[in-house]
Amino acid sequence: MPAENPFQDPARFERRVPECVVVIFGATGDLTKRKLMPALYRLAYDRRLSAGFAVLGISRTPLSDDDFRGRMLEAVKEFSEDTKFDEDVWRGFAEGLFYVPGDLNDQALYDRVAAKLGEIEAARHTGGNVLFYLSIQPSQYAPAALNLGKAGLGKGNGWRRLIVEKPFGHDLASARELSDRLHEVFDESQVYRIDHYLGKETVQNILAFRFGNGIFEPLWNRRYVNHVQITAAESIGVEGRGAYYQEAGALADMIQNHLLQVMATIAMEPSASFHADSVRDERSKLLRSIKPMTPDEIGLNAVPGQYGPARIGGADVPGFRQEPGVKPDAQTDTYAAVAFFIENWRWAGVPFYVRTGKRLPKRVTEIAIQFNRAPLAMFEGEEGDGSSPNLLIVRIQPEEGISLKFLSKRPGNGYKLRPVSMDFSYGSSFGERSPSAYETLLLDAIIGDATLYTRQDMVEASWTAVQPIQEVWRNTKFDFPNYPAGTWGPAAADEMLARRGHVWRKP
Amino acid sequence: MAAAISPDRILKELADLWVTMGKQGQAEAGAGVLRACSMTLVVLSEESDDATAWGETIAALMPEHPARTVHVRLCEDRERGLTERVYAECWMPFGQRRQICCEQVEISVNQDALGDLPSVVLPLAVADLPVILWCRTPRLLGMPEARTIAAMARKVIVDSGTMPDPRDALRRMDAARARGVVLGDLAWTRMTRWRDMLAQVFENRERLAQLDSVKRVGVTYGTTYETSARLMAAWIGDSLAEAGGAPEIAIVRSEAVPTIAIELSGGGLEVQLARREETLLVTVNETSHHTSLPYPTDYLVMREELGVAGRDPVLERTLSSAARLAYPTDK
Repeated sequence: MPAENPFQDPARFERRVPECVVVIFGATGDLTKRKLMPALYRLAYDRRLSAGFAVLGISRTPLSDDDFRGRMLEAVKEFSEDTKFDEDVWRGFAEGLFYVPGDLNDQALYDRVAAKLGEIEAARHTGGNVLFYLSIQPSQYAPAALNLGKAGLGKGNGWRRLIVEKPFGHDLASARELSDRLHEVFDESQVYRIDHYLGKETVQNILAFRFGNGIFEPLWNRRYVNHVQITAAESIGVEGRGAYYQEAGALADMIQNHLLQVMATIAMEPSASFHADSVRDERSKLLRSIKPMTPDEIGLNAVPGQYGPARIGGADVPGFRQEPGVKPDAQTDTYAAVAFFIENWRWAGVPFYVRTGKRLPKRVTEIAIQFNRAPLAMFEGEEGDGSSPNLLIVRIQPEEGISLKFLSKRPGNGYKLRPVSMDFSYGSSFGERSPSAYETLLLDAIIGDATLYTRQDMVEASWTAVQPIQEVWRNTKFDFPNYPAGTWGPAAADEMLARRGHVWRKP
Repeated sequence: MAAAISPDRILKELADLWVTMGKQGQAEAGAGVLRACSMTLVVLSEESDDATAWGETIAALMPEHPARTVHVRLCEDRERGLTERVYAECWMPFGQRRQICCEQVEISVNQDALGDLPSVVLPLAVADLPVILWCRTPRLLGMPEARTIAAMARKVIVDSGTMPDPRDALRRMDAARARGVVLGDLAWTRMTRWRDMLAQVFENRERLAQLDSVKRVGVTYGTTYETSARLMAAWIGDSLAEAGGAPEIAIVRSEAVPTIAIELSGGGLEVQLARREETLLVTVNETSHHTSLPYPTDYLVMREELGVAGRDPVLERTLSSAARLAYPTDK
């Protein structure tokens, strides 16, 4: 048998996708309806899935295969944002949708899953390849994985992979414990920890931008970079997730995973190759280089916040403590700002300011790299004195793109300078649609490319950086709320930067 | 007397166009316009080419492949000599205030002024960006003026399906490939979806294992698909040979087939691909499935072709094999 399909034409065809079954635990849940099924349908629409591709939904709700197809049809129609619904594509896709109801804690469910997978494999020639997706409560991850192992589903005649959603533990010890239990059934190479931020086109483009161009990397170090600001702002509140959110908080919910991964991508060393483990080795190395803070340093370099009530656009907005399901004296951080320092030769002494929050003025995620000022102010006027530094801004959402801000001479007599911006916008430079993060990540998992997935050592390194902050905050009673909804966070966050002569950007 | 035009004048007109559009954009939306350009696309066409359809194709291509387009029309009017006009193709991305525009230069040239054409077209190429030549007329392809322009192009795109003698077209294209010309052939591009679907059949390891037992390949074609069919047959033959097979290959013309139809058989495996209106019907051992197969418009095939920037090793290998299949006695 030929080792490779000789009909391959990588210049013209999309990446080949092997036959497989995606088994979704939590198949009637929100994530499946809003993200997973629209992403899989879109992949089918783009002819990215193999002919025998199948989905096996698992959930407690008793449904037949046809009931499940009906529900998924509604989900695809409602939540596919930029995909035309095509009856023919749906018909072909729906033929591969199956469902098994049952209780996750009941071993008999897993036996039924095994039997159903056998039927699907025989009918659709899926080659024994199975991707398990745990879209369930984090407390159920380990029991579900262990039960899969008991039913003999961790191994088979094809490949077996397991996707888990964040949170990967709630601290370092629980993250390690979760991994240990998953590893009882699945090797680390089979475990795909999904971080949808890494699937975003602009985050992936950071690597292309840094390592595909020759002009930026020489500037990418402590000699030229003054500081870096990473902002992930949300204008909405907790939107009915108050009960969950008050246990998590912004630091654990956003910074420990998404934003530290983004920071690692911005700051990592070039990898020797673009193989999954080479890239992940460098990300991991960077995360391990983050300086852990002492309690005294945490007081100076980390600021928690919680939004209070306000009036925005003529409407009253409740404070966090007034949200349904939230305790009236909750100490949850709905805002977190941290100044991280990376202890390596490239970045020593350069602050990486990372902030995230709910109920900020607008929804925006961006990375701003501020370069050192020109060493000599030669020109007249406020801008010419170098007070407007060069900035490189990588916008992750909503308008994905990259901007470079620099000074230019205003037309006319004299040398009056004015900041101008050179913009690259994904939407205008590439007319083609960018795949959603879940499309990218699901396809990668099916193909077996783990580059954009988080490895256990990366999870542990992130917790090592974040846990000391978490512990100090847990043992401190803050005077919350400390910022009104609709503002850019607490004054203490501004003061944190002001101590180093820096100012938060207002994106 | 034939009129003369200077490339400097065209470039000045383009510069003036941007100043005017920038002012208009600022006045109307306050955001100016954004110039987008990733290549110079030189298009050679006949005057009889449907200008409206062509314009729509370019307008659809520009958001994904923004280019300075230099459109050369070969006209019959002996009085006109060389004439030109410049304009911009603009669009407003959804949800944004700023228009994005690409430059378009249209040059009309009659037979007498053809010799002047390269000296006008060559300076119009945007510096540091690739030049792509799309030759929409087989008549021009053989002319020395087109060859001069082709020499500066990174890639030359033709449509062997429009050439009068399909077998000779394949031989001439293979000769161009051998001279180092980087070619794109829209007759080949029209086959991408077919090839992709055939490749998908063999993504399944059980079927991949049966590949070397395929004994017969049949490609049936309709009126204008002969070169496509020949390229397809050559590609299948090469791929099967790579897997250790040596099938018998039959290329048959049939009025009953509107485009092409493909059949592979042997060793208990029967694979058939056939168009059913806007879908492709793939049948493997009596199990069938449909996949969408829109009719290949100029926009769709050019969109794909402009996305393949450099050499296309699979096409190059296939061209050699197709030329050998067409003329088995050639050395």
